[in-house]
Amino acid sequence: MNVNDIEIDDTFAEAFGMSATGVVITADSPKWARQAAITMSGFGTSVIGCGAECGIDQEISTRDTPDGRPGFRVLLFGFSPDGLLTQLRNRVGQCVLTSPGSACFNGVLATEQLKLSAGPRFFGDGWQTAKKLGDRRFWRVPVMDGEFIIEDTTGVITDAVGGGNLLVIGTDRAGLLATCEAAVEAMSEMPDTIMPFPGGIVRSGSKVGSKYANAPASTNDAFCPTLRGATKSNLGPDAIAVLEIVIDGLTSKAVADSMRTGIKTITEVGPKKGVRRISAGNYGGNLGQHHYHLKDLLP
Amino acid sequence: MSTLTLKLKSEPTERLDLSSLTPSALGGKTTDEIARLNLTSRAYTICVGDVFDIAGTPGDTIVFDGGSGRLDFIGANNEDGTLIVEGDVGAYAGQMMKSGRLEIRGNAGAFLASSLQEGLILVNGSAGDNIGAPRRGDRDGISGGNIVVKGDVGDLAGTRMRRGTIIAHGKIGAQAGARMMGGTIWGTHGFGQNPGVQMRRGLLIAPTMEHMLPTFLDCGFHDLGIVKIMNRYLQNTLHDLAPKLDVAKVHKYAGDMASLGKGEIFLTG
Repeated sequence: MNVNDIEIDDTFAEAFGMSATGVVITADSPKWARQAAITMSGFGTSVIGCGAECGIDQEISTRDTPDGRPGFRVLLFGFSPDGLLTQLRNRVGQCVLTSPGSACFNGVLATEQLKLSAGPRFFGDGWQTAKKLGDRRFWRVPVMDGEFIIEDTTGVITDAVGGGNLLVIGTDRAGLLATCEAAVEAMSEMPDTIMPFPGGIVRSGSKVGSKYANAPASTNDAFCPTLRGATKSNLGPDAIAVLEIVIDGLTSKAVADSMRTGIKTITEVGPKKGVRRISAGNYGGNLGQHHYHLKDLLP
Repeated sequence: MSTLTLKLKSEPTERLDLSSLTPSALGGKTTDEIARLNLTSRAYTICVGDVFDIAGTPGDTIVFDGGSGRLDFIGANNEDGTLIVEGDVGAYAGQMMKSGRLEIRGNAGAFLASSLQEGLILVNGSAGDNIGAPRRGDRDGISGGNIVVKGDVGDLAGTRMRRGTIIAHGKIGAQAGARMMGGTIWGTHGFGQNPGVQMRRGLLIAPTMEHMLPTFLDCGFHDLGIVKIMNRYLQNTLHDLAPKLDVAKVHKYAGDMASLGKGEIFLTG
């Protein structure tokens, strides 16, 4: 397949079922709400090494936040609700509670709930109080700039998707990066998805396993341009660099929509920037429950 | 949706217990069966048909066409549906209501919404003493739901309240929130004397009060997020019935220090 002189591989991205939760973080200004959200999302690129994959999914308008202040939603993806609870408590406790003027609310509507406040609220040392409004309970924790408000619970789902991906191959490293930046910017507009790696882009795609016993993953040598002659390469002779965009989503449709947006942007921006090919990472189709065939996602 | 209309024939000669006249209790009954229901616990009977003209079909709404201060327990234990009273009601209206909506387009007597559990009670006029309070011998007051009184409210509103919201667009009488354990009482025209006596937790909001107990401590003026959250929740839940708080900061008092001391009074004036 070929779109605007960019070759689209007849392959698929293989993604996995994951658990997901989220919180809405508000503050006195968009700047500080974003700051708390970014801080909470830090060191949240891969569930294997970080415990959770985290990112800002969308900005929430003042009309839609519980306290009428500007907000951002952070989504967290992990192996299980129990694993996410630990990550949630630590990240909210260290990164949101500490951020000036912040408040933290339920970010995912779901039947199953995580005890969002169980941990951070005890920072109140007995001075914390709760206010139940309708079916929602809010904790008020006294802090040095007033009160930190945190909702009692947040929703968690177990049918989320992690690991949707696009491999973008180019002949110019700067042009390739600029193209991927444009794709990530467009994909960021898609709700219910995050791209957890730095700026949404991965330069160190991995394969399962390693020659070293203690390493669960190692460099994806088939897509390393400098190993083209030394390994069983998946790259053509003109490929200079490969970048990957990894997508996690609350639903499979959200991941597919995001990948579709990414392919559209890459095929529009990429031709003049040296992008020659789009591929996707998979493990033969036997490990992940979700397969996203690129031919089904063409613009 | 179907409506059953009960038109009051004349002012009752004695107090009547209307707790059996709720949408869930009357569902499936014929008009004749409803007419034979007894409204008193005395040795003699006073039936629904003696007091009301019955029209319509039992369903999710009951309209009482005409009210009286002798009609007690209207909407008590209601589990669903809507009750509308075109006039006054007596004591214990909405007692232990579990869900639904009770709209009183007149005044309400004492112990309105006693131990309310959930749902909305709206009074277009004023309400008497002890709204939301438990009956004598019972332990807990309101445990959920919302009460909105467009007029004034009597003394001892919200006694032993645990959750839920009482809003009065008029003035609230003395000792509101006595022995309160949670929930919110909001009086847009102020409290009478000694609100929050012996309160353990909970929140009282008003622009002014006639006299504050010495066991409440001044915590200063603050811009509190919980006020914004309550504003938004009430706007979304009650719409035009919600109170509006436009001040940037509230004057917070903590008390009652003669009890647990985790209650709060926010003065907005």
